[in-house]
Amino acid sequence: MKGTTLLLAALLAAMALFYAFPLYWTLVTSLKTNLDVFSYPPSFLPPHPTLSNFYSAEQSAQTVTQTAIGSLPWMLNSSLIALMSSLISTFAIGAPSAYALTRHIKRRIWPARMILFMTMLPEAAFVVPYYIITRNLLLLNNWFGLMLVYLSFTAPFATWLLMGFFNAIPMSIEEASQIDGLSPFETFYKISLKIVIPGVITVLILNFISCWNEFLYALTMTYTPFPSGAQTVQVFMAGFVVIEKGVAWGGLAAAGIFAMLPGILLAVLAQKYLTRGFTWGGTKGV
Amino acid sequence: MTLQSTLHRKAGLILITPIMVYFLVFFAYPMYILFYDAFTRGGRFTTAEFSKMPQDPLLLHSLTNTLYYFVATVALEFLIGFGAALVLYWYMGRLKRVFQTFLILPLVISPVAISLMWVLLLSPTFGPVDYILGFFGLHSPNWLGSTSLAMPAIIFASSWEYSPFIFLVVYAALLSVPRQLYEAASIDGMGRWAAFRHITVPGIRAAAVVGFVLESVGVMKSFALIYVLTNGGPGNATYILGFYIYQVAFSFFETHYAAALSLLFLAIVTSFVAFVLKFTSVEKYLGLKGVAQG
Repeated sequence: MKGTTLLLAALLAAMALFYAFPLYWTLVTSLKTNLDVFSYPPSFLPPHPTLSNFYSAEQSAQTVTQTAIGSLPWMLNSSLIALMSSLISTFAIGAPSAYALTRHIKRRIWPARMILFMTMLPEAAFVVPYYIITRNLLLLNNWFGLMLVYLSFTAPFATWLLMGFFNAIPMSIEEASQIDGLSPFETFYKISLKIVIPGVITVLILNFISCWNEFLYALTMTYTPFPSGAQTVQVFMAGFVVIEKGVAWGGLAAAGIFAMLPGILLAVLAQKYLTRGFTWGGTKGV
Repeated sequence: MTLQSTLHRKAGLILITPIMVYFLVFFAYPMYILFYDAFTRGGRFTTAEFSKMPQDPLLLHSLTNTLYYFVATVALEFLIGFGAALVLYWYMGRLKRVFQTFLILPLVISPVAISLMWVLLLSPTFGPVDYILGFFGLHSPNWLGSTSLAMPAIIFASSWEYSPFIFLVVYAALLSVPRQLYEAASIDGMGRWAAFRHITVPGIRAAAVVGFVLESVGVMKSFALIYVLTNGGPGNATYILGFYIYQVAFSFFETHYAAALSLLFLAIVTSFVAFVLKFTSVEKYLGLKGVAQG
């Protein structure tokens, strides 16, 4: 028995290494001087650890924007867009619609299927019409425009997940509140919405992460050769990779570390909510 | 009571308005644009955009590549994700939580950052992959610069990115199988392998299928990995359908053709999803049937 546990632990450690090593390597690269980055054989610890890739513009070929600190404005864009889109999709669309679909609407199988289908739509198939609409509304490279486009996937996801949570509330609670004289709306936002707060948190976190990570819409709608306007950190970073490939690796790695931080923090701090959401509400107890 | 139920109906209609508006703005209207652009040229109806598809070598190449990429990635990530879930489930030590955190890390990292990592890892001049292979006497090639190896490299990175999702879904399903079943089975003298076959496998089948569907669609949608790692290259070796649509629309500026290709892409994804929904118990697992009757 002891032997089996050890063997399984060894296997798991190997897998943990498989997932952690790319992250570790990015971190090490971000702490290396440019000279050390290019040395061969590669060193698995930074020989001359430095934080200059994160903030200074000392290295000759680099300007301030090419150190990680240069990605801060674009991180701010990403945060604002992700925050607004996940809040609106949850409270203005997801929660009321999910509630109506589980409690008020009788023939709900087709609407529910449609919502599920919408969560799976490939971005590449909708990027052309969304681009045309956004352009006609003069909202290209505008964080309001991208926030709206992001509703295309945050809203159905929020609705879908919250349907599961609302459905788990016993009917008797809402019947009781109606007998107490609460209107259907009051029952919704004073009683039911409060019961599904764990679901709301799950949805907010997951939608925030998917907006923060989204690339194709952001690329087509906020890309400019010199980053400006509402460009998100992902677009900034991708442009950086394509241009600086083989040049400013340290700065790139540092920018990558910055851009991963929110997700990693959430994975460590809010794992309970994450796992529930990633398995589409279909599970408990992981 | 009549007043009560009228109020109820009205409330339902008001509450459902947002998603209806959403549906019109984000689905119906874009679909109209796609159809209009795909089927008209200068205001006149035409099917030219579709009839040129079979003669487009780059499209055919992208489609074969998509299939190759799709099958290989899904197979590899299932192998890794399923294995990880079983091993973590069997493991009874104290580090369960810690291992679990590591196993889901890629889920929260952006595809662009993941691509960046793999650019760093696979670099032919200073990448650690080359160095580690060197220990085994192998000299690693320029992965991303070779027409035959760029796709396998992307498939590997892709499996790294997506396998945690399979892990999570399968692991959750394993946990949901009641332990008492195994206890009862062992009292009845059932062996370990028999218990696995007759209790575990049926217990996780639905979840595995759901994982498969959601994941497949996710894999079909991949874009960032291709864009950052190879930008479709070298040459056009790593073109897949989604990337090709992007190229047609935003590099060749052929909006009409891009719209037609988008419809093709939608048709593929929709028929895949419809097929799986029809022939599996996915809807039940996802609570759709339950919700519908609830």
